[in-house]
Amino acid sequence: MDLNYAPEDLAFREATRQWFATNTPSEDLKTLDERKAWHRRMYEAGYVGMLWPKEYGGRDATPMQSAIVSDEMARVSAPPPINGLGIGFIGPTIIVHGTDWQKQRYLKKILTAEEIWCQLYSEPNAGSDLASLKTKAEDAGDHFVVNGQKIWTSSGPIADWGLLLCRTDTSVPKHRGISCVLLNMRQPGVEVRPLKQLTGHSLFSEVFMTNARAEKVDLLGRLGQGWEIAQTTLGYERGANSLGRVTRYNIAFNQLVKAAKALRRDGKPLIENAAVRAKMGRIYAELEVQRYAALRVLSSLQKSEGPGAASSLTKYSYTEFEKRYYETALEILGPSGQLLTSHHDWDDLDTSSGEDGTWATSYLWSRAGTIYSGSSEIQKNVIGERVLGLPKEIRADRVKA
Amino acid sequence: MDFGFTSDQQLLKNSARAFLDEHCKPATVRASWDDPRGDNDAMWKEMAQLGWLGLSLPEAHGGSGLGMVETAVLLEEMGHAACPGAYWPTILAATAIGEAGTDAQKKRWLPAIATGEARATTAFLDGDLDWNPDAVTTRARRTSKGWTLSGEKRFVPWAHVANVMLVPARGKEGVTLFALEPSARGLSLSPVAGMDLATRWVHVKLDNVPLAADAVVGNPGQAAPLLAALLRRGAVGAAAEMLGASRRCLEMAVGYAKVREQFGQPIGSFQAIRHKCAEMLVEVENSHSATYYAAWALDAQADDHALAASVAKAYVSDAARKVCGESIQVHGGIGFTWEYDLHLYFKRAKALEPMYGDAEYHRDLIVKHVAG
Repeated sequence: MDLNYAPEDLAFREATRQWFATNTPSEDLKTLDERKAWHRRMYEAGYVGMLWPKEYGGRDATPMQSAIVSDEMARVSAPPPINGLGIGFIGPTIIVHGTDWQKQRYLKKILTAEEIWCQLYSEPNAGSDLASLKTKAEDAGDHFVVNGQKIWTSSGPIADWGLLLCRTDTSVPKHRGISCVLLNMRQPGVEVRPLKQLTGHSLFSEVFMTNARAEKVDLLGRLGQGWEIAQTTLGYERGANSLGRVTRYNIAFNQLVKAAKALRRDGKPLIENAAVRAKMGRIYAELEVQRYAALRVLSSLQKSEGPGAASSLTKYSYTEFEKRYYETALEILGPSGQLLTSHHDWDDLDTSSGEDGTWATSYLWSRAGTIYSGSSEIQKNVIGERVLGLPKEIRADRVKA
Repeated sequence: MDFGFTSDQQLLKNSARAFLDEHCKPATVRASWDDPRGDNDAMWKEMAQLGWLGLSLPEAHGGSGLGMVETAVLLEEMGHAACPGAYWPTILAATAIGEAGTDAQKKRWLPAIATGEARATTAFLDGDLDWNPDAVTTRARRTSKGWTLSGEKRFVPWAHVANVMLVPARGKEGVTLFALEPSARGLSLSPVAGMDLATRWVHVKLDNVPLAADAVVGNPGQAAPLLAALLRRGAVGAAAEMLGASRRCLEMAVGYAKVREQFGQPIGSFQAIRHKCAEMLVEVENSHSATYYAAWALDAQADDHALAASVAKAYVSDAARKVCGESIQVHGGIGFTWEYDLHLYFKRAKALEPMYGDAEYHRDLIVKHVAG
């Protein structure tokens, strides 16, 4: 065991810190063009697609370096690159499963954000049971005709392309009849309707496909290989955001400490209240454990011990922690924690959570983490079956299959 | 950055597991329950021969000079076996002697501890059970020949088998640490039984116990920082042992869930059971991260080592109670029986939970570290 950062990682962190100190935009990025321009600058500096192989325009960076970049970005609240799904999931999937033509055609433009990508996976009736998806792609000679509806699509309105899971064979058990297709989003047969979340934001969309066209050359992998490809897709990118995530929690905790020193109970600062201290101590212990766990994951990724199914432990652990974290913060902050803006002229108390606005926003968003990318219940199934080796449950669809 | 064990550390872990599997079976633990001493002298001697007792002691005094990470590796395995005996109290007291003792004290005790001839312990708690090292109420009074100590010490682990007991006491100069031997006049020991019959606690009465001047460990009046450091180390060791106990309980729960059938299926196929086991694994792995981070931070004297020790104890105390308790729940009725071995580990984790500062104490330290 040696938890000291390697000298080269320390040097890399220093260089990264300086770059973001000099280059991070001082104003919020408002337009898509501004966000693309920022993405482009990060890309040219080598901070986008760091884990991609060099031959496809990446940097062959180590997971630690990639984690350091996200950590340094979190420290200064730098805006993220714009094509997150393309870079984190879809590009790497094309690298593994794509044809030479597909790699040539799509990869570079993903990195540069010339083309934005979205993931077309979930459907209204295929959430946790993703393999029951019904969107159909029918063979029409030189192309597929796609009909169906997707939901929970991130970046839908700005996406140029989508990685689509669709059913190409209804005569085989459900996991085997799914294919993966690269779908052009800019066509009349594709309609994107933004969904409004309970946060008031619209980060997700519904996507309706009516006789949409997908080219045969855009089939990813073999016909019927879609489920297998989707499984590998879910395995990428773990660990890259780990340190940055914890840094954001830390920034928020410092804000909580400030507020707990300003608010008072029984004539004393709240932070001197034993019950409040106990809550804060408990949640900070959990926060630190998240940091240690992140270092542990990064360390095993460094040794090319892919986390495999164990990444379900990480996802389950931090998303559940996040709910407890913001619940605790809002218990301590009282009604101040629910404000939708963080600065008021009638109140000199700073109630920002230090990240992306307010505690209220963070609190509300924490409800999403345990649902997206495989709910906590699905993660626990994976942990139970694939990590602990517990027997599979007897399910109606497996009996039929 | 490497969070994994070195090959030497892994070797140590494997050999500890193999040794304890053979020499510290559940039946061995059960046999200790009715023994008045409660530890196993033959096993102690073998542990000395394996180098476990000298593992972290200075090489100059018969030890191997290894660190807290290696010690935690051993303690985790001891927790996994619910191993009875004074291992951790002995090593912890030896650490204090090694760090603050006089040459004579080191020569007297450290080689004897490394060879298994002597056992040691530390009396942290007074009558009011306050873990704060500044809260010592046992009195130390200077005399013409040295000192006398008066007061009460509670829940002193394994004091009845210790050849030397470290006792903090308060005098005009502040808190001083003393090394007492069982032969001291005015010292009386009463063992008390807790729910873990393989953990022994002793209530110690000091009635004007006379001590020579050379019984002081470190400088008179300045023991509080030494005690605080000792508590931190003690807390990390306890976390390692609780981690081992919870790993054992998880293994037993998963093993049972695979073979126990109800409604015509193994119960592990039911989500209600599988999800419980998954939650237990997450707690165990987080406990591993917390324990070994803290052990490494102590060895490296990292800036956050004090915080990390408190985080480990606060986190693992809660996690171990949950994991061991849920293991009983997964087992159902069989897990609640005296004959089934699960309660050996459940009770070991529970016995360690309040020691070296309970979770509440360490949570308050955490807030002090972060917020003042």
